[in-house]
Amino acid sequence: MIRHLFKLIWNQKKSNFLLITEIFFSFLVLFAVLSFIIYNYHNYTQPLGFKYDRVWQLWLNPNTDSAAHNIAVQQQLIQRVRSFPEVEHASLANSNTPFAFSQMNNVLSYKSKKDVETDIFDVQDDYKNVLGMEVSRGRWFGPQDNGSLHDPIVINKKLQEELFGEEDPIGKLIPINDSTQYAVIGVVDHYRSYSEFDPEEGAYFHRINLEKDKNSIWNGLVIKVRPGAGVAFEEKMVRELSRIAKDWTIEVTTQEKMRQSKAKVTTVPMIAMSLVCGFLIINVALGLFGVLWYNINRRYSEIGLRRAIGASSKQIRNQFVGEVLVIATFGLLLGLLLAVQFPLLNVFQLSSFIYWESIGAAAFLIFLLAIVCAIYPSRQASKIFPAVALHEE
Amino acid sequence: MIQLTDIEKVYRTKTIETVALNRVNLQIERGEFVSIMGPSGCGKSTLLNIMGLLDEPTGGYVAIDGQPVKTHSDSKLAKLRNEKIGFVFQSYHLIHDLSVVDNVELPLLYRNVSASDRRKRALEALEKVGLSARTKHFPNQLSGGQRQRVAIARALAGNPEIILADEPTGNLDSVMGEEIMDILLRLNQEEGTTIVMVTHDENMALKTNRLIRFFDGQQVADSMVIEAQI
Repeated sequence: MIRHLFKLIWNQKKSNFLLITEIFFSFLVLFAVLSFIIYNYHNYTQPLGFKYDRVWQLWLNPNTDSAAHNIAVQQQLIQRVRSFPEVEHASLANSNTPFAFSQMNNVLSYKSKKDVETDIFDVQDDYKNVLGMEVSRGRWFGPQDNGSLHDPIVINKKLQEELFGEEDPIGKLIPINDSTQYAVIGVVDHYRSYSEFDPEEGAYFHRINLEKDKNSIWNGLVIKVRPGAGVAFEEKMVRELSRIAKDWTIEVTTQEKMRQSKAKVTTVPMIAMSLVCGFLIINVALGLFGVLWYNINRRYSEIGLRRAIGASSKQIRNQFVGEVLVIATFGLLLGLLLAVQFPLLNVFQLSSFIYWESIGAAAFLIFLLAIVCAIYPSRQASKIFPAVALHEE
Repeated sequence: MIQLTDIEKVYRTKTIETVALNRVNLQIERGEFVSIMGPSGCGKSTLLNIMGLLDEPTGGYVAIDGQPVKTHSDSKLAKLRNEKIGFVFQSYHLIHDLSVVDNVELPLLYRNVSASDRRKRALEALEKVGLSARTKHFPNQLSGGQRQRVAIARALAGNPEIILADEPTGNLDSVMGEEIMDILLRLNQEEGTTIVMVTHDENMALKTNRLIRFFDGQQVADSMVIEAQI
């Protein structure tokens, strides 16, 4: 029967051409939207490598050019913040703190591995405690690094794999310029700070040494507050810090708010695309439904004939559902020809499993749609009385 | 082989009630070639549909091989139609998107028959009606007579015991009509197929064994053709 249906639809290909084309495009759109959704969902399920609850973000921006004065103020600010009983931990950082709209990159080379792109995060010793990070190998920064010959860095596993492969990274020296070398002292399993929906990139943490870096200003200050610290403490802290840094702009927000705001960058287009895709699917569904309905009315006498020569009403119903599935299969096969190029050619550098999953899910949805649209008209077809249908021609 | 007992068929609408068949009693024996004649609207086709299990009578019952079919499920009726009955219609009822041989294979699709066996039996049926050279053609490439021969081949492919033909020559000129009639006669005489044919053509009817006349939903005459000719 399947062969018969394929033959029938193939012979009717001209009249089914538009529907096949519509399914072809729907499949491609579904494939694209699902790839986007699955990619983001896959990233979302990966560990961030840090905790953002009760973490506040302070933005500290001096409005004067007096470097010496600003550095002194920065010292006072961090000391004052740490002195609040509501603050458990605090760390200066660059502006690329978790969920910030800021990125800093560098390229590192080690032996044959040249120009490995990586994110760089300047942080203090307390950064690990602020964000509840776990070091899986080696150690985090500490006072013992004050007198170290080389700049200590902690890397994430992703960078470790890209730079050192299977080698033990601890103690490895990475040349930066003629006078500076980084010494890897620790590894964290994960650090994915841009957004919950972004993939993990190679990253390293570079220690801020205020004793040594006497000319640098860091805009970011992340603090871990004690449970119960709220708006009242925020107001008190800002008031007191503003007293110290009179000509600075101080802004406070929570990592939770930053997370939500960053998530919208992905979720809003995802929802918009899903809505557009939804409308398209509704259109296709109406098209399928209409064509099937029209087909049944046009093929009244054929239905009568089939019933006369031995088809039960169930077989008539199955035939019409089967025909829609065959039409869907033709559309899908055309779509597959294009879609499989994505995993095979590694387009957009996404993992191939994301594409395969999207292909599977899109095909499943198209078939489901075809079945749903076919059920009612096919049922009506199966109820046609053969004696009546045979007199239609 | 086919027994109709007290068959009534009434079509009812909100305002009107039309009696198509009124207490028809009929027995068709194995190997007979029966023709049914009567004016348009007298209930001939309705009777044929009831015999062919395509329609249900309002009253009375139909028995095939002594078995009443009234309580049969839809799928059991379909199986009976598929295995025992072959239909030939005035307007051929061929599927235009299928080739001749695919059209002929249709009844076998609803049986557990392999694709190769289906093809073999369809080709044999086409040979019987003299259309072996037209197997790959499509119905719109054939003449009316050829189309009707395809329809007969389709009925034969399932190897039915009964063929029900509803005005099989009605759309054909006399020459083609004769050809079709010859095929049906040959099937009846050589293969013993029971044939019930509705016709308006007296000459065709006189070639059969038995002639039943209908008028206003009632059987008004039932005679062997030799007697009728006398």
